[in-house]
Amino acid sequence: MMPAGEQRWEVLERIGSYSAGELEDGEAREVEELLFERPEYRRLAESYARMLVMLATLGNEPVEAPEDVVGYALRKAYLSAFLRSAEAFAGALGRSYIDAFVYYLGLRRESYGGGT
Amino acid sequence: MNSVSDQAFAIRASKGDVEAFKMLVEEHSGLVYRVALRILGVEDAKDASQEVWIRVWRNIKNFRGDSAFSTWLYRITVNTCLSVRRKETRRKEREYGGEEMPYLPEPRGGDADPEAAALGAEQREEIQAALGHVRAEHRAALVLRHMEGLSYSEIAQILDVPEGTAKGWVSRGRAAMLVTLAEGKHGRDEAGGTTR
Repeated sequence: MMPAGEQRWEVLERIGSYSAGELEDGEAREVEELLFERPEYRRLAESYARMLVMLATLGNEPVEAPEDVVGYALRKAYLSAFLRSAEAFAGALGRSYIDAFVYYLGLRRESYGGGT
Repeated sequence: MNSVSDQAFAIRASKGDVEAFKMLVEEHSGLVYRVALRILGVEDAKDASQEVWIRVWRNIKNFRGDSAFSTWLYRITVNTCLSVRRKETRRKEREYGGEEMPYLPEPRGGDADPEAAALGAEQREEIQAALGHVRAEHRAALVLRHMEGLSYSEIAQILDVPEGTAKGWVSRGRAAMLVTLAEGKHGRDEAGGTTR
C-alpha cells in the first residue's frame, strides 16, 4: 500500500490537473465527486485556480531584455563573422602566395593562374 | 515577425548573414530573457540570455527548419538555463506530509475583483521565489505550460522528452509550487499575526 504522504501528493497532483482542465471526462467526474465530498479539496482546487491565474497574468506581462544583452550578442556575432571572413581571406591569400612561389621556383610546369 | 520570416532569417543567418541574425535577436530577445528570468530569477537571467544568443549563433548552421524557429530557440534557452541550475540540490518531491491540504487565501476583494487580480510587486516576488523552490526540470515545464502557454507536444519537443514525461513534470511542478506558495503565505500570516 502507498504511504500516506505519497497518496496525499497524488491527490494534490490530480486536483491540480483538474484545475488546469487537463483531465479526461471520466477522471474529471471522479475528482468532482471528491471535491463535493471534501471541502478541504474544494479549497485546494480554488487555490490552484488562483495560482494558475497568477502565473498566466505574470506570463502575459511584457518583458524586455536589457539593452546590453542584445548589444553583446550582436557584437559577438559581428566579431565572429569578421574573423571568419578574415580567416578565409588570409587562407586564400596564403594559398596564392604559395602557388606563386612554387611557380617561381619552377616546381610546377603550368603557369600561375591555372593557365597552361 | 511570423514563423515563415523567422525561418527565412534563420536560414540566412545559418549562412553567416549577421544582419539576418540581428533581426532574429531583436525579435526574440524578449522571449529568451523572459524564459530565463522565470526559470533562473533576475540574478542569472542576463548572463544566461547572453549565453543563449552565443549558442544560437554558433549552432544556427545546424538549424534545419524541421521545427519552428521559436521551438528551437526555446530548446536552447531552456537547456542553457538547466545547465546553469544542474548543480542545484534535488528536493524531495512526490510526497506531501502536511496535516491539511495546502491552500492560498482568497484575495481581499474576492477572486472576481480586478484589482486583486492584478499582480503587485510583492506577489510577483512570491511567485518568483516559489518557482525557485521547484526542481529545475519541473520548473521549466511549468513555465512553458502556464506562463508561455505552450502545448504538451511543444513542451515535449523543447525538453526532448516524451509527452507523458512533460505532463508529469508540469503536474509535479504545479503541486510543488502550490505547496511552497501556501507555506510562504501561512508562514507570513502567522509571523505578521494576520488571519484569513
